[in-house]
Amino acid sequence: MPKQDFVIERYDPVTERSYEQQFTAEYEPGQTVLDCLNSIKWTQDGTLSFRWSCRHAICGSCAMKVNGRSMLACKTQVTDIVDRGDPIRVAPMGNQKVVKDLVVDISNFLDAFERAETWLQELPDQDPPSREYRTDKEEFDRWSHTATCIHCGACYSDCTVVAADPKFLGPAALAKAYRFVFDSRDSKKHERLEFLSEKHGIWDCTRCFMCIEACPKDVLPMDAIMELRTEAMREGITNNHGSRHSNAFRGGVRKRGRLDEATLPILSAGVRLGAIPELIGYTPGALRLLKSRKLIMAAKRHGANREGRRQVRRIFDEVEAEKARSAVDAEAFAAERSSALMAH
Amino acid sequence: MLEHGVLIVGSGLAGMRAALEVSEDPDLDVALLTKVHPLRSHSGAAQGGIAASLNNSNDEDSWELHMYDTVKGADFLADQNAAEILAREAPENIFELEHWGCAFSRLENGLIAQRRFGGHTQPRAVYAADRTGHALLTVLFEQLFRRGVKVYSEWYALDLVLRDNVCQGVVVYDILTGQIDAIAAKAVLFATGGYGRAFQTTTNAAASTGDGIVMAYRAGIPLEDMEFVQFHPTGLQGSGILLSEAARGEGAHILNAEGRRFMEDYAPERMELAPRDIVARAEQTEIDEGRGVTDKKDSVFMDFSPIGEERIRYALPSVLHLARDFAGIDPLQAPVPIQPTAHYSMGGIPCDVDGMVRLKDQNDTPIVGFYAAGECSCVSVHGANRLGTNSLLEAVVFGRRAGRAIRTAVRDLAPTRIEEGDLQRAVAEVDRLLKGDGPERAGAIRQELREVMMIDCGVFRTRPQLENCLSTLKNLQERYQRIAIDDKGWQFNTDLVEAIELGHMLEYAEVIITGALAREESRGGHFRKDFPTRDDQRWHKHTLAYRTDDGPRLAYADVNMQPQYRDPFPLEERKY
Repeated sequence: MPKQDFVIERYDPVTERSYEQQFTAEYEPGQTVLDCLNSIKWTQDGTLSFRWSCRHAICGSCAMKVNGRSMLACKTQVTDIVDRGDPIRVAPMGNQKVVKDLVVDISNFLDAFERAETWLQELPDQDPPSREYRTDKEEFDRWSHTATCIHCGACYSDCTVVAADPKFLGPAALAKAYRFVFDSRDSKKHERLEFLSEKHGIWDCTRCFMCIEACPKDVLPMDAIMELRTEAMREGITNNHGSRHSNAFRGGVRKRGRLDEATLPILSAGVRLGAIPELIGYTPGALRLLKSRKLIMAAKRHGANREGRRQVRRIFDEVEAEKARSAVDAEAFAAERSSALMAH
Repeated sequence: MLEHGVLIVGSGLAGMRAALEVSEDPDLDVALLTKVHPLRSHSGAAQGGIAASLNNSNDEDSWELHMYDTVKGADFLADQNAAEILAREAPENIFELEHWGCAFSRLENGLIAQRRFGGHTQPRAVYAADRTGHALLTVLFEQLFRRGVKVYSEWYALDLVLRDNVCQGVVVYDILTGQIDAIAAKAVLFATGGYGRAFQTTTNAAASTGDGIVMAYRAGIPLEDMEFVQFHPTGLQGSGILLSEAARGEGAHILNAEGRRFMEDYAPERMELAPRDIVARAEQTEIDEGRGVTDKKDSVFMDFSPIGEERIRYALPSVLHLARDFAGIDPLQAPVPIQPTAHYSMGGIPCDVDGMVRLKDQNDTPIVGFYAAGECSCVSVHGANRLGTNSLLEAVVFGRRAGRAIRTAVRDLAPTRIEEGDLQRAVAEVDRLLKGDGPERAGAIRQELREVMMIDCGVFRTRPQLENCLSTLKNLQERYQRIAIDDKGWQFNTDLVEAIELGHMLEYAEVIITGALAREESRGGHFRKDFPTRDDQRWHKHTLAYRTDDGPRLAYADVNMQPQYRDPFPLEERKY
């Protein structure tokens, strides 16, 4: 049987000491990192602690960092990650407090679901039907992939925003919120979108793609977050930094044919008294821009030439016309569909 | 010492469903205790569906047909009053879960979709793609969160405390801190899952070590029908990881080395959609007679090509991923080697249709304040063999019923008390394991146990095999007394937890073997090569095994033949 070296990041809660320890495990092709961890635990060192249960990527227990990225140990085959005889490095998930060895405290991750109230909230004072609610298959197919989340925390572990802001709801809770926003059985769509548009919500995502890469179930959290942004703006929830930024970005490009870095932060903060502290906060950055002569450029009446601006505007017009057309189509389709459902 | 009005042990479908039902009464103090976080529970691994005669995909189904299929699938060992309730209450339970937001797959007309499943004569499997258990577990956890039920997550129950057939509470161990404590409760429900981990090839999660069953056994409650273990025919070769029966429901074929659909020799009418025990035995026969596939000749092929790529992607996405990730085979390109794998525990803690644990002796003595539901219980709805999609249904239907019964009963129950002495056994056992310095290792004993159970107490059994199995087991039990574990610490000591679980496995394995040795017939999941036919004269009865210091003492109880709303289904030959 082939042999493989492992370097495991360990933590002893009694001495509060972190250290690395090297092990060598034999494996058969097809065996996983979890198989190797268990063989180490059962034949070499029983003190090694980690969570696992189902062995087939459904219980979500065994997310950990393997060679620096978060993944399920049970779903990761050794042969897929061996690299020129280098040891495989195993460490606990990131963005969460380590309890012992590869075991982390997942309470912050789970709290986000509670904060986002990710459970169905029916219409109050209305009895459900005697049978099931009818759910349009198109609607179901739109959100069903987000319902496959196994709450393993791999996305949360690799999220670059959680690293900077532990209060950020995180990819998994936001993807789950997406599901309820688009679930026609839920009555709180607008309230949900308002909450999600607040600080630590959808607008704080930096679109780094880490969650999409980490997710073992193809939930595509970042895509869900982007769709939530669009839906929030469509619902008129625009009194927040993120949507102002988005509008200012779009407006600037439409008007001038290119991005206007000088006015973007001012418009994003909003033309209002409350924005003053935020604007003052930008001063150091603005001074640095001035020093590197970037703001001088921006302050000039800059922009694309007239022909370029016309081209950009034409693109905008076409995209908007297309969107309007498809909105009419979608509405007609929905009307047709619901009358068909009622008739059934 | 902690105290709650109601304590639920185990957080799978049955436990959470019961907790939700109890929490309907805001005056009741209910807590849920689980050795893994609720979202990690093994119910989430169920794939194919949950049965209910909704008639969404046809119009010929009824609860009576569902009940009949269940009783016949059970090889007539199911209690017919229980099977009747299971079938009758199925639809209302499905609608309730749907109203809570469960992500069931849909038909074009917006109704819940249904498909065919082994042993069911109608398309009555409600499903969420091929991750139905996950969808149900998630929705119940959402509701639990919403209602703010207290959860002791990663706490391990060690002992059930009874006094004069009245439940007092549970001795518990906080895995995070290593502290042993007790929780007094007027009512305790065990929903602790099955016991498949005693077998080498199994679909079961690491957590399915029969903890609750052994706690009840040690407290003096007999275990019912433990010899009935279901071997699922479609486990991935080697790991035993489950490929959903939905694959066969959608039309996959099973082929031997000659490329032949050998099920035509065993169940010509239902073919691959015969019940699991029949298909598993057919496979094992083909393998034993040299018609197995791959180099090891220890498996047969599942061929997905009759289904079509688009339908596979839509209806069986998990099966596709599982075969790729855990066997390295793409079912769209090649057949997948499969073999029988220990899957479901038909036996367990004897209880009535409201979850109340009863000794099923002459007086049908109840254990006041002690309830069981789900796989750890034996109502019995599954008899000698469970039909696919009936386990999720049982967990929900009887979890709800037990929750309701507790809600009513607990008002009249007196406060309970736990004394220092009640903790003694658990404290001494943990102390022994932490201080043990013998030559034996838990890992090696567990490995030997699982191998001998698979070979000698598996799909096919004979007296010599079972006798060998029992003597090997006795030896392993002795060696277990001399084990040493590496981790002597208190915090998150999984080495210790695994050793305790092994103690449970060694205890219940003996009950399985003893029951199998005594039952000289073949029925459902229990097949004796030396007694290959069903013997209703002698064996149409439930096994009850009481714990004694010399091993299990066996007694027997009648099968209930008194459904409430129709005549019982008479015994008949079970052909498919």
